[in-house]
Formats: sequence, structure tokens, C-alpha cells
Amino acid sequence: MAPSAGKKRAPPTAEEIDERNMVGVNKETVTNTTSNDYPDNYANEEHAWDKDDFRRSFKVQWHDNQQFEAQFSLIGIDASIANAFRRILIAEIPTLAIETVFVNNNTSVIQDEVLAHRLGLIPFTGSKKVICDVMGFWQKPAEGEDTWSTTFDTNTVGLSLKAKCTHNKDAPQDSKDPKVLYHNAHIYAKDITFDPLGGQSEWFTEDDKIRPVNPDILIAKLRPGQELDIEMHMHKGYGWDHSKYSPVATASYRLMPTIKITQPILGEDAKKFVQCFMPGVAGVEKVTRQEARTPDSGYEGHEGELKVVVKDAMRDTVSREVLRHPEFEGKVKLGRRRDHFIFSIESSGQWDSDELFLEAVKTMKRKCSVLKPQVTNMVYTF
Amino acid sequence: MSREAYQVPTASGNNSAPGGGTNLSRTFDTEGVTMNYICGDCGFKFPLRRQDNIRCQECGCRILYKERTKRMVQFEAR
Ligand SMILES: [Zn+2]
Repeated sequence: MAPSAGKKRAPPTAEEIDERNMVGVNKETVTNTTSNDYPDNYANEEHAWDKDDFRRSFKVQWHDNQQFEAQFSLIGIDASIANAFRRILIAEIPTLAIETVFVNNNTSVIQDEVLAHRLGLIPFTGSKKVICDVMGFWQKPAEGEDTWSTTFDTNTVGLSLKAKCTHNKDAPQDSKDPKVLYHNAHIYAKDITFDPLGGQSEWFTEDDKIRPVNPDILIAKLRPGQELDIEMHMHKGYGWDHSKYSPVATASYRLMPTIKITQPILGEDAKKFVQCFMPGVAGVEKVTRQEARTPDSGYEGHEGELKVVVKDAMRDTVSREVLRHPEFEGKVKLGRRRDHFIFSIESSGQWDSDELFLEAVKTMKRKCSVLKPQVTNMVYTF
Repeated sequence: MSREAYQVPTASGNNSAPGGGTNLSRTFDTEGVTMNYICGDCGFKFPLRRQDNIRCQECGCRILYKERTKRMVQFEAR
């Protein structure tokens, strides 16, 4: 028998496991923030990553799945993986955006550089199939090569914006609104036209052509005599190159909040407690007869009084307001579940939010398949 | 359909450019453009020759502006 082998430690109870997964949110501190489920951290417990264990415990819960706004939970996953998904969503899924702006004429008050920058940030959409499968990445021509030698209909989309502001002869005499007084006083994203190049007129059908996601984005304001004559080239790119290529307006996660009431909160205190949270997080209920008759429940003799119940902890912003009041001291414990990630993905419009997450998983798999042979080689070398 | 499996439909012409697509190029025409001047006061646009007075033909204002170049200027949308 090994000298250290004494009495085996009992396996952790469900309560203990729950406690290990909880980040403590206290009055002035945040405790227990790091992962602890790795080998050799707890005596006589394995905790090596296991595929079957993961498959058994991992859960995905959908809360909201709109076209451009998705909210879902990944439960039973490590922060490193959840964060990898978030970063891939922001920076490593390609989209199409305006990259080069050819200004033939711009007499508006907005400078060419600023206008070009604004145009670059406008999100566009079009046939997903063509953008994904047909359109490739544009490459800069090599030194000495012709400027357009790498520009093809399979990697570039042409757009143009031509507008001239003129007086509106039919405007009413007392009118003061520039949009009534002049034609083309405001230039919007919808005024940008798609110029199919080469085979693009066949690939992009009329309903699926390249167009701005939000047609009412204001690009410039003009006054009579001012003119815009611009051509643009769109290319595919990654968010790590420029944020205009990012497919999401935001992709973020937060940990699931928990609110544990450790001692009963009754009467007027209960009403005050509810006010400390966002609507819908906590509520009041009447103490039932059964509770009032249960010894050591804390509700003895309080039948019919109001008590606090936690309704929906997910809606909590974890403002910690409740911890500021002395009457709740020691009666409530705030926390967050370390392995419960509530993702929120807002698409900028080229792809749907749920598609984006699946694409992020695909990208992650691809990256892993690159890493795997390298790790294998590393093992063989030594 | 994967990107690799997709065959780009090419026009009947024998285009040998890499990528199989149509090679795109741009041409610019800056010939035959007369240089106009703009009055700083009334905004009247008129051509001016070398020996002419620097003066608006309509209102007599002596401040004249040159028109913006019609030549293409290229920018990166960044
Ligand atoms: Zn004048």
C-alpha cells in the first residue's frame, strides 16, 4: 500500500459540485472566478476532459432566435471555448464590404476620405449561396503587375452611386424642409446601385442582388449644384482586418446570474427586496399554510404574510443593489454560474444570427484540424 | 455546393485569365473638359480665358473658385 493512501475521500455531493461552479458576487469582491475542473485539483477525483462526459453534460438552450438577433445558452462548457466562439464570431467569419472607392466627383460638404470610410461601414446583403460559394478573396496584385490583374467577377462586386442635387420647382412657397425644396437633398444607402460584372448578372437574381441591409442609412446631404459620382469595389474580408468585415454588430456572452435566498424575507422587506431588482427577477408570494407549519423553515407563524421568491434570475443585471441594504444582510447570496454562458449574437445583416454560430463552430473545427497534426508531430519529435 | 466543386460559367469567349472570371478593368476619360470657375458670391458657373478679368460675369464679384477636379481619386474605405 502506498504510504499516502489513507481513508478515501468521499465523492463530492451535488451541493458541493454546485458550489464549485459558482462565482461569488459579494458586496465589494468577486470570488471563485477560475475554473477548477482539471486533473489533480481535487484529491481522488479524475476531472480529465472526457468526450463522453462532455456529451452527457453539455446543453444548448435557445431563448430567442430571430433572424438578426439570437440568444441562447451554452451550459457545461469552459470559458476558454465559449470565448473562442465569441472571438471567431467577431473576427473570423468573412463578409462582403466596400473596400475601394473611386471618387469621380464629390462636391458635397463631406470629404472624400470620410465619405469612403462611411461607405465601407454600410452592411450589404445578397445571395448567400453566391457570396459564400462563388465569391473568393481578392488579392493585391504583385509588384509590377497590372492594377486590375487580380480583379475578377469571382472576387469583386461593383457598386455605383450617382446623384445630383437640384431645386424642386414644384415646392410650396412656404416650405422650409430641404427634402421638399430640393431633389436628392439626402443620399441614402438605397441610392447605391449594383453593377453586375461578368457572370454576376446571371448568378445574382433580381431578388437576391447585392443591396444594403438597411436602405435608410444616410450617407450624405447635398444642396443644389452639389454632386456625387462614385464607383465602388466590394471585396470579401475578415473582421480581424477591419471591423467593417465583422458579420456581427455585437457577439457577447454573460454568465447566468444566481440569487439564493438563505433566510426568509417577509412583509415590507419583501416588497423592498423586489424593488432592488429588474422587473421580473424577484416577486412576492403569500406564505402557505404548509410552510407555516413546517418547523425550522423560518416561516413558522407567518401564514398569509408576503415572502420573497426568485422568479427569473436570468433577467438580473447583477447590479448588487440588494447588498447595499442592511436588512438583507446574510439573507441573500448573489452569484453566477461559471459554466453557463448566455450568448447574444446580433447579426449585421449579411448572415442570419444562428447561421453565424454554426459557422463559428465550423471555423473552430477547422482550426482544431490544423492544430491536431501539429500536436501529433510534436509528440513524435520527442 | 462547395466552393471547389462550383464551376464558374464562362462566356463563349476564350478568356484565359486565372480564376476563370472576366478580367475587369477601368478606363477614365478626362479629355475635352472645359475649366469652369464658380463665383464666390452668386454661385454662377462660367469659363474663363487667360486674358479675362478675374470677375464674375453676372454680379461682378472678384472672388472666383476653381471647380473640383473631375479626375478619379481612389480611396480605401478604411
Ligand atoms: Zn457672381
